[in-house]
Amino acid sequence: MPLKLLLQLSGRNILRHRRRNGMMLAALVVAVASVVLMNGLIRGMQRDMADMAVDNLVGHVKVLAPGYRDDPGVQRSFALAADWRSALAPGLLEGWAARLQVPAVVISERGTRGVRLVGVHPVREAVSFLGDVEMAGEFLQDAGDGRILVGRALAEQLETAVGRRLVIITEGVDGRSREAGFRIAGLYDADGTALERAFVFTGVEALQKMLGTEAVTELSMRLHEESQLPQVKAALAASFAGLDVLDWRELQPQAAAMFVYADAAIFIWFLVMMGALAFGLMNTLITSIMERVRELGMLRALGLRGRSVVAQVVLESSLLMLIGVAAGVVLGWLLAQALGEGIDLSLWAEGVESFGMRAVLRPILLVEDVVLIAALSLVLGVAASLYPAWRVVRIKPLEALGR
Amino acid sequence: MARGWGAPTARFVSGDCTSGMKFAEGKGARSQDARHGPPCGLAGAVAWRNLWRNRRRTWLAAGGVAFATGLILFSMSMQVGGYATQIETATAFFAGHVQIQRRDYIDRARFEHTIQEATPLLRALEAHPEVLVAAPRVQAFALASVDERSFGVQLLGVDAQRERRAVRWLDRISRGRMATAADEAVLGAPLARNLGADLGGEVVVLGAGKQGGVAAMAVRVTGLFDSGIAELDRSLMLVPLEAVQGAFGLGDEVHALVLRSAEAVRSGELAQALNAELLQPLTKPLPKRPRSPLPDESPQPEADSWLGETDLGAPNGIPAQAGELLARDWRAVLPELRQSIELDRWGSLFMYGIIVIVVTFSVVNTFIMTVFERTREFGMLRAIGMRPGAIMGMVQLEALCVWLLGVGLAFALLVPLIGWTAAYGIPLGEDIQALAQDLFMPDRLYPKLSLVVLLTAPLIMLVGVQLAAFAPSLRIRRLTPVTALRTE
Repeated sequence: MPLKLLLQLSGRNILRHRRRNGMMLAALVVAVASVVLMNGLIRGMQRDMADMAVDNLVGHVKVLAPGYRDDPGVQRSFALAADWRSALAPGLLEGWAARLQVPAVVISERGTRGVRLVGVHPVREAVSFLGDVEMAGEFLQDAGDGRILVGRALAEQLETAVGRRLVIITEGVDGRSREAGFRIAGLYDADGTALERAFVFTGVEALQKMLGTEAVTELSMRLHEESQLPQVKAALAASFAGLDVLDWRELQPQAAAMFVYADAAIFIWFLVMMGALAFGLMNTLITSIMERVRELGMLRALGLRGRSVVAQVVLESSLLMLIGVAAGVVLGWLLAQALGEGIDLSLWAEGVESFGMRAVLRPILLVEDVVLIAALSLVLGVAASLYPAWRVVRIKPLEALGR
Repeated sequence: MARGWGAPTARFVSGDCTSGMKFAEGKGARSQDARHGPPCGLAGAVAWRNLWRNRRRTWLAAGGVAFATGLILFSMSMQVGGYATQIETATAFFAGHVQIQRRDYIDRARFEHTIQEATPLLRALEAHPEVLVAAPRVQAFALASVDERSFGVQLLGVDAQRERRAVRWLDRISRGRMATAADEAVLGAPLARNLGADLGGEVVVLGAGKQGGVAAMAVRVTGLFDSGIAELDRSLMLVPLEAVQGAFGLGDEVHALVLRSAEAVRSGELAQALNAELLQPLTKPLPKRPRSPLPDESPQPEADSWLGETDLGAPNGIPAQAGELLARDWRAVLPELRQSIELDRWGSLFMYGIIVIVVTFSVVNTFIMTVFERTREFGMLRAIGMRPGAIMGMVQLEALCVWLLGVGLAFALLVPLIGWTAAYGIPLGEDIQALAQDLFMPDRLYPKLSLVVLLTAPLIMLVGVQLAAFAPSLRIRRLTPVTALRTE
């Protein structure tokens, strides 16, 4: 039987039962659209987590002195050769920053807190959250700037303000403690208060002078493409022999675990929705095909082969699925676009922060996800229609006509 | 079946059925008994029998209902159980069920914002029937040094015995023992490593006392703890309560009282009760500002009222406090936990909604087919005098039966399963376990059944199924017997 005729027959059959097929389409569209939307939201969440992990002074990959992670002090530092970048193929890095990060105690007139004092090169910090952070006061001028940037939350705890002085105590490279006064250049407003309380920034050269060293404790890099991570890691491991080269998944195992967890969540969500949909589909297809036993028997009596009948039925439900899935994907996409501004979760800011997410959740649709959802839905539809079609064909034409 | 309606008199014995099931007056089947309409038993039996005229379809529809009900039932029981264990794990570790602090200490943790006369208050709290134990804590920031190395540490003074009963984190002392004497201390393992201090080593602690003077302690390390929470392990130093109070110039003063109650879930009520009964009377209320349109008018303290209240205050002879004391339950102490639970609730609510909608659509389809297929039959029923409302009622009854089948199926399959897993717990994967500690998740999930869990899914599905049957059956009202009988 020619395909054209089959298509015609299927198309007409769909139009014949508008109400029933409309209902099935509606169920399909709701299910597919919600899977697409939810998938987009979870992907958005996932990207937030990765971004936040990379942004928080981690970068995609970091070079550290061995043992620094256990005992983060100025003794565990390394000298950075001027030509270190020659080891990497050009064009891989979006940016890099060398930092000197040490534990310190800050003291104001009103309070004392333990923090991590980070010597940075202000221009290079475009790779971290410092690059586009909201500031009150001034940003650091250059690497030799001996003023400090303090988080807003920490400034509140210390009851201090821009222009005031803080005393910072930390350990020098010789193991003796150093104490110096720093003027506050500006207060920064990070996404979460945990960051604001933890980090105090100053110029890296100023800090090196205070501690009596020329070395840095970390070299952080951000790549254009995360997929190039293994390549970059290998090159770095070769040129920084004896140092630790770690990517963000190793440095932030919690964020990496959440990333995996989000993948599992997407999978479970998809499974559940498809399960619900499968019931709906089977239900509709089985009843609609069983109702047409007589009609299909007639076709066979007229000489249509069993195979062709099955093909016609499967084609019919595939067409229906195609329309429904397409409409569902479009609706899901539209919903995701409507949420383009993001869902404001700031009501749950601390909870969101503990998940490593941003306060505004923006859906992200990946083409491969949408294609996968659409393809699996279609496969499900065809599978659900095969069984009833096969059952119908097994009924003898004479018997079928007698019903 | 139609025959049954033809000679109804003998069977219509029991009472009236609800509204829709009335026979038309003045039609063929009118009789003395017809006024009462068919009894529920009969209508139910007819609906039940109708269902089995198409077994496959009935089971498919019931299967859909069972799927949705079962899925929601299971996820909800997991959620409820998960939240309960999450709350219990989180509070039992460090935060406690209820914390009492001065309001200004909560706002900005200044060392001098202490609870005064802590011992009598602690006694009064422990006398409360709901409170199992109240553990006092003093928190101070200090500089800990070994030789030339110094680190900023969070000094925590605790009453070891009470602390151990209130929370569990002291169990995480991995080496050595708890500090008991005034010159002993327990350090986080990474902190000790950073300082270069081992068991038996000396650590000098310097801080600012309450009056601004220098507070100094020299302590010997008697134990190391490893809580698994990096922030705590890297900065916490544990010393006996009296030692910190002495060194930092505090009298009978503490920063927090950490309470353990019988049940974490009910700690909100306990906090409220404590605030109303015990803590508010202890606080001198601030003089009220007179209500005046002029903002700069000098405040006139309403002497009578606040003096009166102070006299009333101080139950059990506890002296009044300088600042306002506030009891907060875990919702306020651990806002990130409350919020993550809320977020999770919203997320799953969305999921349940979608499941119900999708399954309901498929049930609608079943009933569309039911109604269209039986046009002739309905025409016949109309012709012999059954009112459209009564036929619609019958369809609704059929829907009810489908619902019963589906819910029954779901319950039969899932309630034993949930009961079994509730007893043994579902182990989480190893990947999750690393996360578990930081996110306050236990390493096993125990689903929990409650009345709310058992009723929510079936009731939502009931509404869905009845609506699904109602929408297509509206057609029955427009049915004229003659044309209906002619349809094939």
